[in-house]
Amino acid sequence: MSDTLPALKPPSHRVERRAILLWTLYALIWGISVIGVLVALYVFLPATRPWIQPFLWILPPIYLLYLTRVPYWRYRVHRWEITDEAVYALSGWIVREWRIVPISRIQSIDVKKGPLQSRLRLATLKISTAAASEGGISIIGLDADVAERCSDRLTDLTQTVPGDAT
Amino acid sequence: MSAVALDDAGWQRLNSRVAWVDLGKMVVTFIPSVVAAVVFDQGLQAWPVFIVTGLGVVSSVLDLKRWMHTRYRVGADRMEIRKGWLIRRYRSVPRDRIRTVDTSAKLRHRLAGLRVVHISSGEARTSFKLDALESRTAERLRADLLGVTPAVETAEVKAEETVLARLRWSWFVYNIVSVWAFLVSGLLLLSAYLTMQTFGVDLREVIAGAVDWRSLGLGWTIVVATAGCFVLGTFGMALNYLREKANFRLVRTRTDDGTALLTRQGMFRIREVYRDDRRLRGVAISEPLLSRWLRLAETEVVSTGLSWTPGSDAAAAILPRTSVAEARRVAALVLGDEHRPLDAPLRRHPRPALRRRLVWAGYVPGVPAALLAWLGATGAVPGWIWAVPAGLIPVACLLAVVAYRSLGHAMAGPYLVMRSGLIRRTTVVLQSRGVIGWGVRQSLLQRRLGLATLRVQTAAGNRVYEVPDIAAGEAAAFAHAATPVILAPILAEGAAEAVSDPQPDGQEAHIAHDPAHG
Repeated sequence: MSDTLPALKPPSHRVERRAILLWTLYALIWGISVIGVLVALYVFLPATRPWIQPFLWILPPIYLLYLTRVPYWRYRVHRWEITDEAVYALSGWIVREWRIVPISRIQSIDVKKGPLQSRLRLATLKISTAAASEGGISIIGLDADVAERCSDRLTDLTQTVPGDAT
Repeated sequence: MSAVALDDAGWQRLNSRVAWVDLGKMVVTFIPSVVAAVVFDQGLQAWPVFIVTGLGVVSSVLDLKRWMHTRYRVGADRMEIRKGWLIRRYRSVPRDRIRTVDTSAKLRHRLAGLRVVHISSGEARTSFKLDALESRTAERLRADLLGVTPAVETAEVKAEETVLARLRWSWFVYNIVSVWAFLVSGLLLLSAYLTMQTFGVDLREVIAGAVDWRSLGLGWTIVVATAGCFVLGTFGMALNYLREKANFRLVRTRTDDGTALLTRQGMFRIREVYRDDRRLRGVAISEPLLSRWLRLAETEVVSTGLSWTPGSDAAAAILPRTSVAEARRVAALVLGDEHRPLDAPLRRHPRPALRRRLVWAGYVPGVPAALLAWLGATGAVPGWIWAVPAGLIPVACLLAVVAYRSLGHAMAGPYLVMRSGLIRRTTVVLQSRGVIGWGVRQSLLQRRLGLATLRVQTAAGNRVYEVPDIAAGEAAAFAHAATPVILAPILAEGAAEAVSDPQPDGQEAHIAHDPAHG
C-alpha cells in the first residue's frame, strides 16, 4: 500500500538516538507541571474538586502512554537530508509532515541549543524563509557538531546559489 | 536638542496649510453647538453636542501641535522622521526596504490641495504617515522613493496607463445587498435617535405615529420593520459604497523601472494604491458561500511586501465585489500572459476526500448532540435540546459535499492553480517561481484514506496556500511539475513516470520551468 504515502523518498538520515531521551525529558517536564497544578488545585481548593476529578482520572493514563510511546514513535518518523538543491526533512507522529526548502530560498540559518539539549550534546537546526513562521524547517535532535557542520555547509551553499530577493 | 543640531540639514516640515485646515476644522466643530444653543434654544440639555465640539477642539489643537513637531528627511540611503512633543520619536527605514507609497486625501485635504502620504516597508504596519503634504510634493516624494514618473502632466501620464477595469453600475448589486444591511440600519437608527434627542425630537414617537401599527397586527409589523430596516441599511451601504468606490479605476501604469498596478477610488477621499509588478506572484479569487447564487467574487493580487491586516481595506484587493466572469477577465489582464490559468480545467480530488468531510459532518454536530443528550438525561438542560444539533447533521452533510466539490488543482503553464474552501471558495493562481518551499502533511486518517495535504509556501499573500486532501501519490507529482529541479532528487523510484501527467499541461510546465531554476 505504498500509494497511501506521498511518492517521496524518505530523507537519508535519522536523528540521534539521544533525541528519544530529549523528547522523554520534555514530556516529563510538561506532564509533571500540568498534573502537578491539577493536583495542587484539588488539594488546596476543595471547591474545584468536582471539576478536576474527571481530569485526574483520565489524564494520567493518557500521559503515561504518551511518555512511554511517543518519543520512540517520533524517533522512528523523524528524518532529514541536505541535497545540493534543498533541505528536506520529515517530522511528526500522528500527523507527519515532509518539508522541502530550496537552498536558493533560505533567508537565515540558526543552530539552537537549549539547556537540556546542550547537556545531551544535541542541537536544533532551524532554516527560515520569507514565508515567515509558516515556512522553513526545524530539524530537532541533531548531534551538536553535525548541526554546526550543516549550518556551515548551508551558509557556503547559500552564498554560491544566487537567491532572488522575494 | 543637541542631537538635532548635529545634523540639521535636509529636514522638512509638513505643509503649512495643515495649520489652516486645523483652524477650519475647529470652526466647523462649533457649528452644531451654536445651532443647538441659539437656533433651537436647547441650552444645557444639548450637552452631547457640546462634548462633540469639545472633542473637536481638542483634536484640532493636538493636530496643530503634531504639525509643529513633525519633521522628515529623505536621505541618499534612508528615510527618517522625527515627531511628537510629549514623547519624542525618531524612526529610520532604509530606502531599499520601502515597498509601497500610497496617497489618500479626505475632503478637507482635497479642498486645501493636500495629500496624506503612507509609506510602508515589508512590515505589517505603515512605517510612515505624512499628514499632509501638498499634492505635488507628495507626487514628487513618491516618485523619488519608488522611481515612478511623477504625474505632473496628467495628459502624458494617461498615455502611459492601460485601464484594466473601471467602475460599472451593475456592480452596485454585488456590493450593497448583504446581511450587514441590518447592522448598518441599526447603527443609523441609533445615531439618528441620539442626534434628534438633543434637538428635542423623539424618534420613537415619530415612527410610532407614522403608521397605525395596531391595525397591522404582529405578523405584518415584523414584516414591515424587517423590510424597512433592510431598505434603510441597503441605502446606507449604497451611500458608503459610492463614497469609497466612486471613480474606481484599475490601471497598469509605467514606472521608471517597470510597471505597477494602480487602483484609484473614492468620491471625497481619493485613495491610490500602487503595487509593483515585479512583486506580483499571482491572483486569488474568492467566492463567498452565501452569495454563490449571485456569482459574486472578490479579487486580490498575491504579491510580496503588501501589508495585510484582517478587516481593513487590504492593499491586495484590486477590485470591489464583482461577478466571477468580470473577476476572471481582470485577473487574466493582471497576469498579462497567454496561459489563462483561471480557465484551466481543474483536477478533482479523490473520493476519500468526500468521506473525510462526511466524517467531520457527522461528529461536529454529533458530539454536542451526545453531550446534550447526556446532560438532558441528568436534567441539567431540557430533554429535547439534543435534537437541535442532531437535526443539523443533514445540513452538515450537504456542506461536506459542497466543500468536497470546491476542491481542485491544476498546473497551467508556469502557474499553480489551487481551489478549496467552504465558506469562501478561493481559487489561488501562483507563479511557480513564487514557491519558496513545500510541505506535505498527512494525519493517520489521511494515510488510511490515501490522502495528503500539500502546503505551498511563498513570500507573497497568505504565505502558505493549501491543497487539502490531494491523492497522496499525486502530492509530490504536483510539486514536481512546479519545481522539477528541487523535487527530482527526492522523488521515490518510479514516481517520476507517475509524475509526468498525460495532459500536455504537465509537459509544458517542465519546459517553461527549467530556465527559471537553472
